[in-house]
This record gives sequence, C-alpha cells and structure tokens, in this order.
Amino acid sequence: MELLLAQTTDAGLADLGKAIAFGVGVGLGAVGAGIGLGTIFGSMIQAVARQPELRGELTGIQWLGFALVEAVVFYALLGALLAFVLV
Amino acid sequence: MGFVFAADSDFDPQHEFLLEEWIPIHIGPLDMSVNKAVVYLWLGGMATIFVGIWLMRFGLSLRPGRRQTAGEAIYDLVQSQIAESSLPHKGLSRWFPYVASLFLFIWVLNIVGFIPLPISNDTYEVFGVNVPTLGVYAATANLSVTLALALITFLATHVEGVRHNGFVGYLKSWIPEGVPKPLLALIVPLEVISQFMRLISLSVRLFANMLAGHMLILVMLGLIFIFSSWFLIPISVLAGTVIYLFEVGIVVTIQAFVFALLSAIYIGAAIEPEH
Repeated sequence: MELLLAQTTDAGLADLGKAIAFGVGVGLGAVGAGIGLGTIFGSMIQAVARQPELRGELTGIQWLGFALVEAVVFYALLGALLAFVLV
Repeated sequence: MGFVFAADSDFDPQHEFLLEEWIPIHIGPLDMSVNKAVVYLWLGGMATIFVGIWLMRFGLSLRPGRRQTAGEAIYDLVQSQIAESSLPHKGLSRWFPYVASLFLFIWVLNIVGFIPLPISNDTYEVFGVNVPTLGVYAATANLSVTLALALITFLATHVEGVRHNGFVGYLKSWIPEGVPKPLLALIVPLEVISQFMRLISLSVRLFANMLAGHMLILVMLGLIFIFSSWFLIPISVLAGTVIYLFEVGIVVTIQAFVFALLSAIYIGAAIEPEH
C-alpha cells in the first residue's frame, strides 16, 4: 500500500480523493433517504392495513412524501457532483 | 443517449448530455440557439397538445369508450388528488387548468424522453445515407427547462398572494403567529429564504430525477463498453431494462404528479395563507 502511494502522483491522489468523496457523499445521502422511504412506505402499509377505506386519500400523500424524501438523494448527488467538478 | 456500436469509437458518457447548437441564433447576449433540448421541448409541446385534444376534445358520449375513459381518469386524478385538496375554493377555477396542463406537459415530456428517437448528435451510415442514431434524451433532464417551469409557479404564487391579500397582508402572512418577538428576527429571514429554496427544490427535483434515470441506464449499458466484455451484455442489458421499466412505470408519473401537486400547494397557500 505504501509502495503504491509512493508511486502515485499528486494529481492521481487528488483524483483518488475526489472519487472517494463523491462515493461517500452520495452514499450517505442515499442512506438517509433510504431510511426515510422505509418509514413512509411502512407507515402507509400500516395505515392501509388498519383503515383500508382511506387508501385513495393516503396514496397522494404517500407519493408526495416519497418525492420529497427522494429529492434529498439528488441534492446529495448534485452537491457531490459540484465538489467533484469544482474542487 | 445515442449508442454507437462501433468497436473503434471511444465511450464518452458525458457527450450524451452535450447540447450542440444545431441552428445558432444569438440575440445580443442571449443564446437562443436551437439544440437537442429545444427540439425535444417542441416535440413534447406538440405531443401534449395532441394528447389533450385527442383524449378530451371530441366524440364524447355518455357511454365512454377506452379513449374517453383515459381522458376522464387523468382529469379525475388531477381534480381530486391535486387541485381540490390543495387549492382553496376561490382559486380553483382559475388555477385548475394551469395545474392540469402542468401535469400533462411534464408527463408527456418525461415519457417522450424515454422513447428512442432519431434526434442526436451522432450519425451512422445506412445504404450510403447518414442517419442520426437512435437516442433517448428528456427535455426535463435539463435544468433550464425545469427552472423555467418552476419560475412560472414562483411568479404565479406571489402574484396571486398579493392579488388576494394585498401587498402588506401577503407579507404579513409570512410571519408566523404565536412566536416570541426575539425569535422573529431569526425566523422571518428563514421564511424568506425558504420561498426561494422552493424554486430550487422544485426545479432540481425534476431535473435531477430525470438526469439520474438516464444516467443510470447509460451507465448500465456503458459497462459493456468500459470493460469491453461480451459476458457482460446479458447482465447489463437486463439491469438497464429493469431501470428503464422502473423509470417509465413509476418515476415519470410521480415526478409530474409531484411537480403539479407542489405548484398547487404553493399557490393555494399564497391565496389563503391561514391554511
């Protein structure tokens, strides 16, 4: 490992760092959104199981929540892309 | 995304989202050139008009056929799920058409973005004729398009807010009630910033969703070219197809739905700030 790092140029190290930062940034964003999506759909299943007649009204709220949470990943993606391109 | 199936061509995924000027039009500092996104936007606009007229404008009967049922389903979805739940009664007749056409327009733009069309920068030769490669590209995978749509909603929100509540009354509605005075200095700027954050979140959500969908398909199929291995073809084609079906089946409709719903909520909240 030390031998590899010794052979790497500064530019190569910078690329390495950028790639790691991109992966970690988007990955952490996806973790948060994944938890949120699980909560939303879990609650939806519970709600429909308890009161099936409310399904129609709840579906709209569910998809709204889905899109709001899912957008978080894309903010992370955009932020990571900006960091990747600009730094 | 046009895929060039030639062994000697380099694989450059970023070129697929490059917008070359096909008909350069420059008016002063404004760049009004016709490029791929503009062509897709025209196509989407025409398709939206066609779909709207075809579904809802003629041959309506009391015993609806399949075409009329589809039109009524879309109308019912927008009316019951989007408009009536979020727009107050006095704004309903004025803003229902806007919200409905927003939904239909974005939906058609997204769908058109997943149909392979011969509109691309690359060409290949068939019987001595240069034909553009088939490619998929969504006009909504372009920040300018979604930002323009979000700007219309943004303007409509504040114009309606001022029109119904008066200028001072509308600004007062941004100040939350029942908050201790010292905290207001902190909360009011946040409230103002959040009005502009809506603009960003509304446009970036749609843009990033469509861009990420196209990128995922591109990357899945691009694995073949990156590793140049025949064994990868079944795996990556299967993965690409799964993502494609997910995008067409779910994401396309949800994003159009959410954009229209959030527009309705913002406009409705500006007309009647108490709710």
